[in-house]
Amino acid sequence: MATLSGQRLSASQFTRWLRKLGASLGRPLFAILLAVIAGSIVIMITSPGSLGDRFAAVITAYQSLYIGSLGDLQSFSSTLVRVGPLILTGISVALAFRAGLFNIGAEGQLAVGAMTAGIIAFKLPTWPGWVLIPLMIIGSMFAGAVWGGIVGLLKAWRGAHEVVTTIMLNWIAFFVIDYLVAGPFKAPEQANQTPSLPPQSTLPRVSFFYNQTLGNFLPKIASPDSYLVDVSIFFSLLALVVYWFLVSRTTFGYEVRVIGQNPKAARYAGISIKRNIFAVMAISGAFSGLAGGLHLMGQFPYQIIGTTFSLDTTGFDAIGVALLGRMTSIGILLGSLLFGGLRQGSGFMQLNANVPGDLVFIIQALVLFSIAAEFLPTIQRSLPDWLRFSRRPALVPAIVGSTTAQPPATGSGEDNAEKKTTNEGVAHREEAQS
Amino acid sequence: MIWQILLRVFTSSDLWNATLQFAALLILPALGGVISERSGVVNIAMEGMMLTGAYAGVMAGLATHSVLGGVIGAIIAGGLMALVHAIVSINFKADQIVSGIAINIAALGLTNYLLFIQTGGQGVPHLSNALRLPTLSWGPLANIPFIGPVFFQQNVIFYVAILILLGMQFLLFRTNIGLRIRAVGEHPQAADTAGVNVRLVRYLCVISSGLLSGLAGAFLSMGIAGIFNSNMTAGTGFIALAAMIFGKYTPWGTAGACLVFGLGEALSSRLQDTGASPNLLSTLPYLLTLIALVGLVGRTVAPAADGIPYEPGTE
Repeated sequence: MATLSGQRLSASQFTRWLRKLGASLGRPLFAILLAVIAGSIVIMITSPGSLGDRFAAVITAYQSLYIGSLGDLQSFSSTLVRVGPLILTGISVALAFRAGLFNIGAEGQLAVGAMTAGIIAFKLPTWPGWVLIPLMIIGSMFAGAVWGGIVGLLKAWRGAHEVVTTIMLNWIAFFVIDYLVAGPFKAPEQANQTPSLPPQSTLPRVSFFYNQTLGNFLPKIASPDSYLVDVSIFFSLLALVVYWFLVSRTTFGYEVRVIGQNPKAARYAGISIKRNIFAVMAISGAFSGLAGGLHLMGQFPYQIIGTTFSLDTTGFDAIGVALLGRMTSIGILLGSLLFGGLRQGSGFMQLNANVPGDLVFIIQALVLFSIAAEFLPTIQRSLPDWLRFSRRPALVPAIVGSTTAQPPATGSGEDNAEKKTTNEGVAHREEAQS
Repeated sequence: MIWQILLRVFTSSDLWNATLQFAALLILPALGGVISERSGVVNIAMEGMMLTGAYAGVMAGLATHSVLGGVIGAIIAGGLMALVHAIVSINFKADQIVSGIAINIAALGLTNYLLFIQTGGQGVPHLSNALRLPTLSWGPLANIPFIGPVFFQQNVIFYVAILILLGMQFLLFRTNIGLRIRAVGEHPQAADTAGVNVRLVRYLCVISSGLLSGLAGAFLSMGIAGIFNSNMTAGTGFIALAAMIFGKYTPWGTAGACLVFGLGEALSSRLQDTGASPNLLSTLPYLLTLIALVGLVGRTVAPAADGIPYEPGTE
């Protein structure tokens, strides 16, 4: 009897686990599928020839997208170069989301992080690497934390909406960096770029690092030059663990989640909302700043070039990564691989299939649309009862929707908070169930 | 020495002409933002709508061989982007900020994609002078010293923008429709009870913001530049967003903000002789907006229901 009930328990646990997995994978996968289909339609409309030719063009495009990003170890290594910053900025956005805050300033925080790391190296060019590298990492995190912390301060004490302040701070960062790059830190006889970092302050590639350490005992990597990813990818993976621990195993993480899901309950529980909002934004900024610093130290050309950041979209892709990954560590990793892979594969797709690489921007935008709009549950709701896959109400809108809640400090915020409690209560119960 | 340069710069009609031109470019998407947010739909996608309009304007102009065709194409393209934003955020109740970001990314991707398809990655479409939005010269008025070049030798869209500004102020604060728009943005439940069709009003307001941003895009590509470049808006839509907030969501305030930001932009390229950095001057709009948000110059407060999807039956 005991074994029987034990089996039954594990079986029901297994189905529950499966259902949970399905629920958390279903919507992101559906969003990706929708985007891929829409991308195919765009290719079919714009490519020449008969319907068959057009269909072949779609196949070739996606094939080369795959080959260019994951096809061999070399391209996978290049994909990882893009994955690292996406993971860190994805964590940055996700952590803020957990507190019900919308950090669209990851790009600006990344930029100030990179610039600060650069400044430290340019000011102390003769210091040894083992001092300089940690100093640059801490500096980039600190700069990002300041840039994010300003947002948190303005939100907590003045009720300034974080979306607006982050947009403003993004552009302030871009222009100030353009000024620094064109003026005080300009490379001699160059325009709008800094000199390269001193060699001891750069991070080695994984392949070189392996050959010099483990490679002494194990077989060496034959042509280490062709694998671009540097050791900063390990920092990014470590950051995923830190993020998981921070959110699900610390008091701080618990308080942050309560604030995000039910600010009113948080206040009744005696959680300081203002202090936590500031802390979340500062930590969130630190992750983005780290992304900027590490990328500068790890990747060619090891210098900052003017207007790089205003044209870079990592900080915005991170929003898709965080939403697609449903703010979990594993999800952020998978989302980063997808977005990084798309971006990396786009070049090869353009060469091989003659489909403009900008297609991946369209695909990314469509992923964002379909995650935000929750097409799947809406379609499910319109289906007759017996056709529905699942009757679970949407989870993501409850989390994302709360980003629009004003801080409790303002008058209108109180109403919002009260209105939100009903919605968020549902989400909360649901999570408790699953 | 610096004072001499400043005197020379500030007394040149060229500076003020450029100021007004840039202010007109900003006021169109900024007013679009005002009407959209007044109706309760957050719109941070003016950048993307402008970019789409800029592209569509040049392409439609080249295809129809007419300026008007180009402008209409730009307006429709901007409106279509806004329609997507409206459907996603009103019908699907999506997060309006995510939707706005997606619009911006989509616009960048779509325009670059189509540009590449058309040109094979080489060159950019130029407009002949006949296809550019003309600069109007108001006969004898244009010859008045200083005032003539500043006010009466502007692009045709400048005058259109002034009309739209006056029209928007009148519409929002002197008409029934304006009252309804503001009611929907402040308290949609009350407006619904009073018989206002909340969704319809929001739809129309969001689409209007796209039409205005599209027109601004046409002004940029068909008027100022005569060319379409990849990502040619380069943040203009975000300065417009800043202007809207700095102007406290009112047409007049927004117009004032656009003038200040326009002056900053015009100055940034003209003060290099004094040693001032154009890049640092470019941060001015964003810094001023931050200060306004903090409340040093009177606090900016958004409409109460801004960004909250309307659910009939909620309180």
